[in-house]
Amino acid sequence: MDINLIQAQIEADLSNAGSLQALEELRVKYLGRKGLIAELTSSIPALAVEDRGNFGKEVNALKSRLLSLIHEKEKSLAGDSGKAGNVDVDIGMPGIAAVLGSTHPITGIIDEICTIFSRMGFSVLEGPEVETEYNNFTGLNIPSEHPSRDAFDTFYLENYPKLLLRSHTSPVQVRAMKAHKPPLAVVVPGRVYRPDAVDASHLFMFHQVEGFLVDENIRFSDLKGTLEFFVKSVFSSDIKMRFRPHFFPFTEPSAEVDISCLICKGKGCSACGKKGWLEILGAGMIHPNVFKQVGYDQKKYTGFAFGMGIERIAMLKYGINDIRLFFENDLRFLKQF
Amino acid sequence: MKVTYNWLKDFLKIKIPPRVLAEKLTMAGLEVVSLEETGGDFVFEIEITSNRPDWLSVLGVAREVCAITGSKLKTVNPKETKIKKKEARSVKISVRDKKDCPFYSARVICQVKVGPSPLWLKERLELLGCRSVNNIVDITNYVLFELGHPLHAFDLDLLSGGEIVVRRAKPGEEIVTLDNQPRILGDDILIIADRDKPQAIAGVMGGKGAEVTDNTRNILLESAVFDPVLVRRARQKLGLQSDSAYRFERGVNLEAAKIASLAAQELICRLGSGKPGGYKSSGMPESSGALVNLESAYVNRILGADIPAPKIKKILSGLGLNPIARAKKGFAIKVPVFRQDIKLPVDVVEEIARIYGYDKILQTLPAIKPNAAICGKRDVVSHIKNALIGLGLHEVITYSLVDRELLLKSGIKSDTRPVEIINPLSREQEVLRPTLLPSLVRCLAYNLDHKQEFVNIFEIADVFSRGENSVREELSLGIALCGTHSFLTRQGLIKDEVTLLHLKGVLEGLFNKLGIRDYDFRNQGESGIHIVINQQEAGIMLALDKKALDAFGIKNKQVILTEVDLGRIFSFISLGKKFSAIPRYPEITRDISFIVKDDISVKDLLAEIKSKGLPLLRKAEVVDYYQGKQIPEGYKGLTLSCVYRADDRTLTEGELNPVHNSICSLLEERFGVKLR
Repeated sequence: MDINLIQAQIEADLSNAGSLQALEELRVKYLGRKGLIAELTSSIPALAVEDRGNFGKEVNALKSRLLSLIHEKEKSLAGDSGKAGNVDVDIGMPGIAAVLGSTHPITGIIDEICTIFSRMGFSVLEGPEVETEYNNFTGLNIPSEHPSRDAFDTFYLENYPKLLLRSHTSPVQVRAMKAHKPPLAVVVPGRVYRPDAVDASHLFMFHQVEGFLVDENIRFSDLKGTLEFFVKSVFSSDIKMRFRPHFFPFTEPSAEVDISCLICKGKGCSACGKKGWLEILGAGMIHPNVFKQVGYDQKKYTGFAFGMGIERIAMLKYGINDIRLFFENDLRFLKQF
Repeated sequence: MKVTYNWLKDFLKIKIPPRVLAEKLTMAGLEVVSLEETGGDFVFEIEITSNRPDWLSVLGVAREVCAITGSKLKTVNPKETKIKKKEARSVKISVRDKKDCPFYSARVICQVKVGPSPLWLKERLELLGCRSVNNIVDITNYVLFELGHPLHAFDLDLLSGGEIVVRRAKPGEEIVTLDNQPRILGDDILIIADRDKPQAIAGVMGGKGAEVTDNTRNILLESAVFDPVLVRRARQKLGLQSDSAYRFERGVNLEAAKIASLAAQELICRLGSGKPGGYKSSGMPESSGALVNLESAYVNRILGADIPAPKIKKILSGLGLNPIARAKKGFAIKVPVFRQDIKLPVDVVEEIARIYGYDKILQTLPAIKPNAAICGKRDVVSHIKNALIGLGLHEVITYSLVDRELLLKSGIKSDTRPVEIINPLSREQEVLRPTLLPSLVRCLAYNLDHKQEFVNIFEIADVFSRGENSVREELSLGIALCGTHSFLTRQGLIKDEVTLLHLKGVLEGLFNKLGIRDYDFRNQGESGIHIVINQQEAGIMLALDKKALDAFGIKNKQVILTEVDLGRIFSFISLGKKFSAIPRYPEITRDISFIVKDDISVKDLLAEIKSKGLPLLRKAEVVDYYQGKQIPEGYKGLTLSCVYRADDRTLTEGELNPVHNSICSLLEERFGVKLR
């Protein structure tokens, strides 16, 4: 049998087929259980052994050619009828689900913040939550039994007198500076702890992101520029930012950073206490005493540091009014992010 | 801290309205948190940072207003009145330790008439939220608020021996403080005693014993400098708060101590409430402020600004920092005693920046030199989180501090003693958790209570355990699954109740994504299923037992949990991929359906097949599974799919059949399966 001849015949038949029904008849004729291809295949054992391989291959090639021709013809016939393949679907039915999970909003905000600073060249580092008294306080120029510690109520650990639960992410400054020489550009996300009674705006565990940059000739103006880039990236490009003098033991000069209220755009509303401003960051130039503690040359290097509370930023960004929602982990809450 | 607009005006001319002044104070670092108009005056409530005790008074704020607005400060300079020797009443002061109390002064006021204060005095105090007591007490408070130095008045006639002894309390010594509370003292508390007993807790609160009352005829007015740490400790230990302690803790100075004492005397005399009756003091602490050298170039280098030297000089003068211009474009600054916060040149830089205006300093972007060597674990953790989220799980964040009871309820690691918190505020802050799972179960139970049919959550956080000298802190992954997952398919609704195998599937997906190849799940009975990675125990998988389910109020549902020690598997994670060529020749798939006894492990069966089928068998996996009516009791039905392929040629039936047949015989002979 000449396979080529058969193929030519089939091609002619197919191109003459004028309807989907005619095409289906041809499909049965060739590919059906008692069709041409089946017939050819069953004839193989009757052939001489040396011919079998070749013939088999030819039949297979014919079969796949046939399949693709029928498929093409089918498409062109469907097109002829003016009907697309998607017309019969009730697209109002739900999609067959491929369900994704969700990132916790706090993780989402931290990722966003780290990405913004990474774009500027900062590295992301983390540190332990159980810290030494030295890293949490003394190394950061916070003397013991001093009122400046009042801002950092701290959990202490039974049986480990020199250890505590870090009350801010700043101890990682001390760790990183002791481990690396400048230049150093680092952001540090993480959990922090302070003994506080839980209410709509207080928790005993929350998250901070700390950042610091040390090099020759880092200036207060660089801090302002860096944080402006940050607040505009994380909120919106029309946001206004202001620096207010403040006190932190580990920075000098120090500042609190406000952004124009996201709700009233600075006119004053209940969300911002009629001030038009929302406080979101603490920042300043790293105190020379901190450099002294970590063994950096105070004459050669300057640097800035900043820190922010993540829950607060998440609440502002997402319009969440109760901080407890973050740790209640209600799926109806989580699935919104 | 509160001040009023009119009170400030006692010290300087203010030409700007209160609201503008509030804004300017805020932008200079004295954050005005509220401004209220009341009784013809305006009350500013200001948040004062702990480094600026000199701002804790009307005078201190007035100084600042002068620096901001350029007005001139009216100085306070009360004069000492000379009194005749015979009118002077002698008092004896003995200070046991100069370190505890560097300065103590006692001023005697005689012929005191205790009574109500005049209206203006009452009103001013009330505007600041201070209740009027009597003229003497009110005057000490008035001076405190005006000048910032705390005073205390004793009834001199009630001090036995007319004597003042500044000493540590004896263990067990008692005092009843002005708030009528009896308090037991100890030798870490500094007291003011008379010859016999404590009459005040130094710097914190006076005692009832020598309280000024309507019967008081002579008073002893104390103005002193106490060690801030001692005052702080006493206040904390006794759980007391007072305006006086607040200021002592932050630091007072000798100059203010002397002026306040005189100012109080002057006011008492002016109001006709008493007459000077002598003055005595003990101790003379150093009273000179620091000397700081400052170069203008340094100021501008730190700030990234270009403030000219004359402007710097003007700002410093306005702040009372007395700059002396020096050669080399610098200044020598003699810091006044009330500015104990200024020690270094950089402290002065902040002062200049504050008054110059933070908003006038430009914004620049630093040239950051990134350092690839500094790299934490966060990227890998993000990778893990994203994989799990892709697998449909929801990330939760729960507290690292938990109550002991939660650990007991879950029965997980409940035999280990967790790290305890010394100062929890509530039971939920008792201990640091050694495992994430109890918190996840609680979270899961919460969601079931809120009508969720299917809960699938995970958390990645540190867990804590006791080490020899320090606390072990390790990063852990916890996953909890519970309930029935419903999904709509073309065949209709499918309800799928979660089992250990669902969780295994999640972990397999995760491990594959992380490039971990050598992992195994070993059933260890009671202790759960152990997860072994590269031959090391790396975690556990379990179904919560009935007792724990009851404890959490979970009914008719299985809770499936796993906890993986991420620290341990970090070294096995290989995110670096290596491409292997896509096969050029087709593969052939053959299925085998059979039934096999339940106790035969599919893992063993597959392992045997895979080694038997080498090298043509490329993959053997379970593609179908059934138990039920058609299958005899104690058996399970399986369909395996075997994929055969050669790398260098198209495989023929002739090559394949003997291999596949040998696998079928292996199944029959070795595992006793019945082919279907």
